[in-house]
Amino acid sequence: MRRAYFPALLLAAYAGVPLVLGGNSYVMSLIDAALVIGGIALAWALLGNLGGMVSFGHSAFVGVGGYVSALLTAKAGLPVPAGLLLGGVGAVLAAVVMLPVLRLRGPYFALAILAYAHIFRILATEWTTVTGGAAGVSGVPPLPVIAGIDFGGKTGAYFVILTIVCVFAWIYARVSASHYGLALRAMHDSEDATQVLGVNSTLLKAAMLLLSAFMTGVIGAFNAHYIGFLEPDYAFAGLWVTLPIVAAIFGGYRTIAGPLLGAVVVYLLDQLVFKTLISSGHQLILGALLVAMIVFSPRGLLPLLTRGRKPDAGT
Amino acid sequence: MLELDNVTVRFGGLTAVDNVTLRAGSGDVLGLVGANGAGKTTLFNAISGLVRPTAGSIRFGGTSVVRAPMFRRARLGIGRTFQIPQPLHGLTVRENLVVAQRFGTGKVDERRIAEVLEFTGLADKTGRDAATGLALTELKALEVAKALATDPQLLLLDEVLAGLETTAKRRFMGMLQDLHARFGVGIVIIEHDIETIATLCRRVAVLNFGRLIADGTPDAVFRDPEVMRSYVGNGVGGGHG
Repeated sequence: MRRAYFPALLLAAYAGVPLVLGGNSYVMSLIDAALVIGGIALAWALLGNLGGMVSFGHSAFVGVGGYVSALLTAKAGLPVPAGLLLGGVGAVLAAVVMLPVLRLRGPYFALAILAYAHIFRILATEWTTVTGGAAGVSGVPPLPVIAGIDFGGKTGAYFVILTIVCVFAWIYARVSASHYGLALRAMHDSEDATQVLGVNSTLLKAAMLLLSAFMTGVIGAFNAHYIGFLEPDYAFAGLWVTLPIVAAIFGGYRTIAGPLLGAVVVYLLDQLVFKTLISSGHQLILGALLVAMIVFSPRGLLPLLTRGRKPDAGT
Repeated sequence: MLELDNVTVRFGGLTAVDNVTLRAGSGDVLGLVGANGAGKTTLFNAISGLVRPTAGSIRFGGTSVVRAPMFRRARLGIGRTFQIPQPLHGLTVRENLVVAQRFGTGKVDERRIAEVLEFTGLADKTGRDAATGLALTELKALEVAKALATDPQLLLLDEVLAGLETTAKRRFMGMLQDLHARFGVGIVIIEHDIETIATLCRRVAVLNFGRLIADGTPDAVFRDPEVMRSYVGNGVGGGHG
């Protein structure tokens, strides 16, 4: 997407969507959910595209971020905005525990990090004195009312998640355009060749894992306050990794806008169209759509739409 | 500057480098020769950190680097090229050098990058995709350029002339002859062709089945009967490829 379109796109996102759809709380809730998926897809793609690591374990960061924020606000009385940030910090700490998996590559990394995600789900279930166990945490405080705007409502929450996603996309773009971004891109196919030039590839990969975890944790925390309730099977559900992966691949995970576009298209299509066609098993159509995308445009929807144009800067 | 003492590298039951003791200084242009499988590239890998020696010590500038990771050795001043060129995928020629400068030296000096590009003949290729847009000679030049961009004190060149046709080889030889004087860098070069080694190097070390069997001036080394038996007698000058 060209830089010139950004102001118009931001205006449409911040003003157009609430003006046109703000009265329809069902559609707004779907858009909120799509942005949650999009934000996780963006964080996942940052690790996949820049870090060169395919993760099946991002549900751990969603869950840990959600639980940390929910417990600190509901039980310790911290304000919700602080809880959101600390949710991100909690996910970073979870990622620190996972750092040894950086010694692995490819499918071994993907499976090892999936195992970690399961361990965190088991911890949340068994550590009943802190997490409430399988019964979960109820009474998670909603997003606050600030200057008369109820950020706990569907439209208010939309502004919050949209801002979070925009800030994360900006951070992603900055990292990608930096010298670190160059080295990270180069590392995928030639890690030894980058190391002999002085690149500490392990440190860079770790930084990407931690940054991706922070982003995912903040979004997990947002979701906990948005929903108002957490239990382990929901907080650490596999859908927190499968849907973002589908969205990122569908949209084009090697671009910054692709995962967001993919999430909006995939989630809204699924909920508004496929679900009405087949109420049970509608995800099958998503699967077929993803296969078709991989066959006809392996680089995803965004590159398909912008084919023939100059690629995104910083992607 | 580089001090190898009793360096041994074993892969299971195979001893690829056997108790090698060798010195290379900043004023050296040292040729490392030997038949295929003699352990030359493995020795480069041990020096640059790609493999860890089974035994022995490696010191660079007075500091032990035997346990240092590759990136730290590069920052200390050990630059290297690979026998099969390894351009940084997805980046342009210039970006390859920017990564080398930024991470090898901690800063990006545009004048230095321009100087290296001009020296290696890549000044008009800066925007090309490094992995897909270059011919073999240019890929080899990029290997040298990346290593030079890290501001090395010692440059390990692994068969940079291999596979080049005669004209390109002659041009490349000219570049290598200027390299030491222009950048003040010590050079260790692996090369099979004796004429090339005799032209470029003031000193030659010979490996045979991982053991260092000779170390001296080209004239003296290539008159050594053991060298002749192990290396020249095996068909040097093309036979070793």
